[in-house]
Amino acid sequence: MSPIPDRSRPRLRHGVFTVLAAIGGSLLLLFLAAPVLELIVTGGAGGITRLGRDAELRQALMLTGLTATTATLLGIVCGTPVAYLLSRSDFRGRAILSALLDLPLLIPHPVAGIALLLVFGRESAVGSALLAAGLRVVGSPVGIVCAMLFVSAPLYISGAREAFARVDFRYEAVARTLGDDAWRSFNRVTLPLARRGMVAAAVVMWARAVSEFGAIVILTYNPKVVSVLSYDRFTLGGLREALPVAAVMAIIALIPLTVLRTLRHDRSVSVTT
Amino acid sequence: MIDVRGLSARLGEFELRDVTFDVPAGGYGVVIGPAGSGKTTLLEAIAGVVRATNGDVKLNGRSVTTVPPDERGVGLVYQHAYLFPHLSVLENLRYGAQDEDTVEELVRRLEIDALRQRNVRSLSGGERQLVALARALAHRPGVLLLDEPFSALDPRRRGRTRREVRALHREWGFTALQVTHDFTEAGLLGDVAVLLDAGRVLQYGPPEQVFRKPASPYIAEFLGAENVFAGTARVLAEEAPDWLEGDAAALAHGYHAIEFTSGPLTLYTVGSTGNGPCYAVVRSEEVVLSLAPQSTSARNEFRGRVVEIGTLGALARVTLDVGGTPLVAAVTTRSAREMELREGAEVYATFKAMGVHLC
Repeated sequence: MSPIPDRSRPRLRHGVFTVLAAIGGSLLLLFLAAPVLELIVTGGAGGITRLGRDAELRQALMLTGLTATTATLLGIVCGTPVAYLLSRSDFRGRAILSALLDLPLLIPHPVAGIALLLVFGRESAVGSALLAAGLRVVGSPVGIVCAMLFVSAPLYISGAREAFARVDFRYEAVARTLGDDAWRSFNRVTLPLARRGMVAAAVVMWARAVSEFGAIVILTYNPKVVSVLSYDRFTLGGLREALPVAAVMAIIALIPLTVLRTLRHDRSVSVTT
Repeated sequence: MIDVRGLSARLGEFELRDVTFDVPAGGYGVVIGPAGSGKTTLLEAIAGVVRATNGDVKLNGRSVTTVPPDERGVGLVYQHAYLFPHLSVLENLRYGAQDEDTVEELVRRLEIDALRQRNVRSLSGGERQLVALARALAHRPGVLLLDEPFSALDPRRRGRTRREVRALHREWGFTALQVTHDFTEAGLLGDVAVLLDAGRVLQYGPPEQVFRKPASPYIAEFLGAENVFAGTARVLAEEAPDWLEGDAAALAHGYHAIEFTSGPLTLYTVGSTGNGPCYAVVRSEEVVLSLAPQSTSARNEFRGRVVEIGTLGALARVTLDVGGTPLVAAVTTRSAREMELREGAEVYATFKAMGVHLC
């Protein structure tokens, strides 16, 4: 007769693994949340009261919001067709296009700033042509938008591409056989079904644009966005001066995060209905 | 009509190759084949939602190979319905509808009135299929492509819906092509049956012909023929043997009497096969069982021992051992009961020469 297998050992191993996983997870959570919470707790109240009397901070906030929103809208308008193409078509050079779009995510952001300066600087062909046409990129809000767009658009394209990929092409196929042309089936079926995923991607892009520093500081130090202002205050006045600005920025960052979690809670359609 | 000539198409890793068949104008075609044989891709290539890499598709006399799906005049109903989840049932029905009266007529005829205010997500699989069917029909397509449209319906509703679709097909005059796994459905609905496997058409023609005269033993077995014997055919010299059951006219079409030998079995049939190795197919429904020898004109009669009886609803599947070769007969359970069939019983199996198909 074969002996009864001892099940206590795997159960014990399972228990140890659960405890280790819980400890590891909790430590990481603490590591990620503690600095931000500390920042908000320590400087949050000061930052909000500062808003009333610090005109430069208010301007920086306004500029950050406007430039990030402009960059995001540009990303949506120009990035949506690219995301749709990448999710639906299998064409030659698709892998290269995907790699090119991911490139800005891989290079350090000050390097991205330098690259943008090379293309849009006063000495460059593009920069001088734009300047001649009355559009100054370096040292202007346009430069901020360019820097934000460069570093954050790939996030939108990637998210929107995923959102389109989750919508089975057969929904469009049905719409096409019901008389819709390609554009109409996209508008009536694909877009509504991918909308939540696209909004989530846009929120991620906006948040990334708001938090950008490295590329902006190279291309446009002045006028200052909040990230540049917090760095500026830190270098000139130390932690005491930088803390309220940094706290305000952390509070702003919580807004898209909350929107994103709300959207994800109400999950988008990805299954056959 | 649907006229497909040398059609090739690719969807991901799957490839449809050199598909040729036609369904006459106002006809009803059925596509049968194992899972993964390309049935859905074939419908999608005809609808134009999957691009053809080669060949030609003509719908109602017009070549549409390069025409976009919205200009082909086709309706497409998927097995999984693909109702638009952001729209209500009624909005789905109206999506491409020609007019409100057509929607109302279809709601009535397909008995989905209770569903019109329901949320798409709350529908059962069968209800979704009915709404998807009505949505496609409401567009009044000239060609209707159906991918297992009744698979999620209960048997009673399936029968009613099948009859209603057949009635609409007759009244409205559209050409239909339906994918099905149900051979009974294929026989009931189809004017033309297309057998697809691994992206290729193995055989097509009237369902009766495809089922009774499969082109290969693989097709025969796929179509549920349980008696497929490998053996050797020998053309008989006699021009019209006495066992030809009065169907001597068949010989005028190049047919001849054939003796087929497979181990201890010797079968007699007529066909165009020459001398040499081939397969004989005898559908189990052709085999008649009796307790005593029959005095009929049927040429093929064997004595065997019952080795297995399996019942499936009203039918019983009886396997005999005929000199070491299994022979399956399908009889009604009532007949099996009346004959008091049991394992080990000795019975006679009889089938006509015309019930043997060589391939």
